[in-house]
Amino acid sequence: MFDGLKDKLSNFREDAEEVAEENAEAIEDDEQAAAEAEAVADGEPVEAQAGAAAGDGADAAAGDVADAEAASADPDSADDEPDEESSGGFMSKASSLARGRVIIEEDDLEGPLRELEFALLESDVEMSVAEAILDQIREDLVGEEKKFTKSTGSLVESALRDALLSVIDVDGFDFEDAIANTEKPVTVVFTGVNGVGKTTTIAKLGKRLEDQGYSVVLANGDTYRAGANEQLQEHADNLDMKLISHEQGGDPTAVVYDAVEYAKANDIDVVLGDTAGRLHTSSDLMQQLEKLDRVVDPDYTIFVDEAVAGQDAVNRASEFDDAAAIDGTILTMADADSQGGAAISVSHVTGKPILFLGTGQGYDDIQPFDPDALVDDLLAD
Amino acid sequence: MVLDDLGSSLRGTLDKLRGKSRISEEDVDEIVKEIQRSLLQADVDVSLVMDLSDSIKERSLEEEPPGGTSARDHVLRIVYEELVGLVGDSTEIPLESQTIMLAGLQGSGKTTTAAKMAWWFSKKGLRPAVIQTDTFRPGAYDQAKQMADRAEVEFYGDPDADDPVQIARDGLEATADADVHIVDTAGRHALEDDLISEIEEIESVVEPDRSLLVLDAAIGQGAKDQARQFDDSIGIDGVAITKLDGTAKGGGALTAVDETGSTIAFLGSGETVQDIERFEPDSFISRLLGMGDLKQLTERVERAMEETQEGEDDWDPEDLMKGEFTLKDMRKQMKAMDNMGPLDQVMDMIPGMGGGLMDQLPDDAMDVTQDRMRNFEVIMDSMTEAELENPRSIGASQVRRIAKGSGQSEDAIRELLDQHKMMAQTMKQFQGMGDGDMQRMMKKMQQGGGGGGGGGFGGMF
Repeated sequence: MFDGLKDKLSNFREDAEEVAEENAEAIEDDEQAAAEAEAVADGEPVEAQAGAAAGDGADAAAGDVADAEAASADPDSADDEPDEESSGGFMSKASSLARGRVIIEEDDLEGPLRELEFALLESDVEMSVAEAILDQIREDLVGEEKKFTKSTGSLVESALRDALLSVIDVDGFDFEDAIANTEKPVTVVFTGVNGVGKTTTIAKLGKRLEDQGYSVVLANGDTYRAGANEQLQEHADNLDMKLISHEQGGDPTAVVYDAVEYAKANDIDVVLGDTAGRLHTSSDLMQQLEKLDRVVDPDYTIFVDEAVAGQDAVNRASEFDDAAAIDGTILTMADADSQGGAAISVSHVTGKPILFLGTGQGYDDIQPFDPDALVDDLLAD
Repeated sequence: MVLDDLGSSLRGTLDKLRGKSRISEEDVDEIVKEIQRSLLQADVDVSLVMDLSDSIKERSLEEEPPGGTSARDHVLRIVYEELVGLVGDSTEIPLESQTIMLAGLQGSGKTTTAAKMAWWFSKKGLRPAVIQTDTFRPGAYDQAKQMADRAEVEFYGDPDADDPVQIARDGLEATADADVHIVDTAGRHALEDDLISEIEEIESVVEPDRSLLVLDAAIGQGAKDQARQFDDSIGIDGVAITKLDGTAKGGGALTAVDETGSTIAFLGSGETVQDIERFEPDSFISRLLGMGDLKQLTERVERAMEETQEGEDDWDPEDLMKGEFTLKDMRKQMKAMDNMGPLDQVMDMIPGMGGGLMDQLPDDAMDVTQDRMRNFEVIMDSMTEAELENPRSIGASQVRRIAKGSGQSEDAIRELLDQHKMMAQTMKQFQGMGDGDMQRMMKKMQQGGGGGGGGGFGGMF
C-alpha cells in the first residue's frame, strides 16, 4: 500500500524543487545586478522573468533607479504589494545558496501542482481532499518569501509534509488506550457497506485483543446476510471465543444487547459487535443502525471500509458517521491496494483517525496505522 | 448509476454553447474540463480520462460541423460518440448451454452475482446451476446455498472439501443436466500469487465459455491493475458491476473494460436475486446525455406493479379507473412508486422530466418528496378502515386523533387529505377517458407536465 502514491509524490517534489531552485538562482543573479548598479529599489525579488528583465535594465542603464523600478512594477502591478514588502527584507543579503530565500510565484508552481493533483487522484484521493492538499501547499509555498537552511528541497518537502499531515493526522483517538481505559465491558460496534471485510476484521481484532490479555465475546448483529452466522461462528470456533447470535432475520440490536449482558454476567472485557453490511442509500437499514446506536449505546463505533475504494469512500464514510457517529476507521485489503488514497480521504472527511489496516487473510494480518510514520515513509527517498 | 453527474454538469456546460455557430478553444477547454472532473469523480482511470478528453478536444476543434449543425449539437455528438466508444457494447451472452466463471476481489459480490445471474438465466427459460468453489472464507458455502435457494436454482458445493479445483470438477459432473453452469470462486486480489495460480487451475478444469470479472462499483484506480492481472491469468470476457444502488459511480468498470478489451455484461443493484440487469449501452448513454430512458422506465413500472400486487391479488391498477379513488388506492400508488426505486432515478428516465428539468429543482426536492410520502404512509397507518375507504368523512376531531396516533402535525394530516382530493379529481378526469388505458394516462400526465393540479404525484413537488 502507498507505494504508488510515494512514487508520484517524489515526482512532484522534483518538479517543485526545480521551480524553487530556479527562483533561488534568479534572486542571486538579481542581487548581483543590483549590487553592481548600486541600485536598491529594483532588486525586488520578483518572479524569475521579471527579475531577469530588471537585471538587464539595471545593467544597461546603471543607476537609473526610477526607470528600472517602473519597468519591474508595470508589467505586474497587481502583484506589486508583496514585492514591495519583501524588498526591505531582501536587503539583508543572502550569504550563500545553502542558506537563502526564495519566492515562488503561483504561475511557476501551477504545472507541478496540476501534476500533483492528478497524482493524488490516481491514488484514489478524493477530489475535494486533493484540492484541500493543493490549497495548503499553494498557501505554503507561493508568494511569501521563504527562508531555507539547507536546500530548496527541504522547503518543498516540509510544505508537502504539512499538507499531508493536516489532512491525515486527525485528533488522536487511540484504540488501545481507549480499550484499556474504558470501564468493562467495552462495547465496540463495527459498521460499513457490504463486502468490505467487517466480519474478518472483527475476528482479527478479537484475536489481537485476546493476545493482549483481554477476554472477548463476539456478537453477530448481521441477521440479514445469508451465511453470516456460519461465517462468524467459524471464526469464533477457530479463535475459541464465545459468539452470541440470533436467528437470521432477528433484531440486531437485541443480539448486541444480549452480548453486553453476557459480558457483564461473565466478566468479559470486550464485546465486538458485527453488523450487516448495508449501503448508505438504504434508509431502512441505516435507521436500523441508528436504533442500534441509540439502544445499545456502544462505547465505540468503528467504520470499516476497503482500501481499494475510490472516490465514493468519503461519501459513505460521512453517511455512516451521520447514522451512528464513528470513532475511527479500519481499512481492509490494504495488501490489494498500492494507492492508499482512501486512507487520506476518509480520515480527512470524517475527522476521525484510521486505526488499523487489514493486510491479508490471516488472523494476524492487522496493523496499527500511524500517520506520522506513513508520511515519513511517503517522503523518504 | 455510472456517471450520473456527468449528465447534469455536461448539460450545463453545453447550454452555454446554445446559439453559437462557432466554437472557440476556450469553450472546448471548459467542456473538456467538466468532462474530466466528472469522469475522475466517477473513478475512471486518470490516463483514460486524459485520452478521452484529448480526443474530444481535438475533434471538436478540427472537425468541420456538418452544414446547419449548431456548435452545441456538434460537440454533443462528438461527446456521445467518444463515450459510446469508451463504454462499448454489452457483453454478448447467448441464451444457450454454457459455463461462466466469476472472478474478483474479496467482497466484490461474486456469490450474490452468481445467484442473480442464475435467476436471470432461469427467467430466460434455461436451467442454471451454481457451483461454489470458495473453500477459504468461513460461511461461503452457506451463503451461496441460501442465495441459490432464494433464486430457486440448482446448487453444488462441498463444505468439507478443501480443494477448489476438485469441487469444480465434481460440481460440473454433479450438475451435468443443467444448461448453464455458473462457477463462483473465492475472492482474491491480483497481488496474491498463490491464489492467482489457483484460479488459473480452476479455469483449466472448468474451461469456461466466458469469464466475468465482478467489480464493486466503489472500486478506485486500483481497478486497472486488478483487471489486467485477472485478464492475464484467466482472460476476462466481461465485467459485472455490483452495488450500483449505492452512490459510487462505477467508473472503475470502464477502466477495467478498457484494460481488458472486454465489455460490461451485468449490473447489480440490490441484495435480492432479482436485482440484476443486463447492461444496455444505449439506455446508459441516452440517460447520461439527458434524453430520458423510456424502455427502462417501462420495465421498472411493470416490475413495481407486480411487486406491489404480490399478496394482494384483489388490487389491479386498472381499478383506479373505476369507482371512488380512496386513500387505500393512494397508498398503493405510493407503494408502487416506492418500488420503482429512488424517485430521482425514476424521474431522470422520463423524457422531458429528467435532465434539464431535474437540474432546476433544488437538490433536496426528491428527498423532501420521498420524506413526505413516508410521512403520508405513517399517517395512513393511524387511520381506520372506514377512514381510508371514505376520507371525505374525516372531521376535525378525527384529524386530531390521527395526528396524535401518528405523531404527525394536524397540518400534515390536512395536507394529506388535500393531496388525496387533488388526486381523486385528476383520476375522475381520466375515468372520462373510458377504457382506462394506463399508457394514455401516462401520456396525458406528460403533456400536462404534471400540471392541472398534478396528475399522479406531479402536484407533490
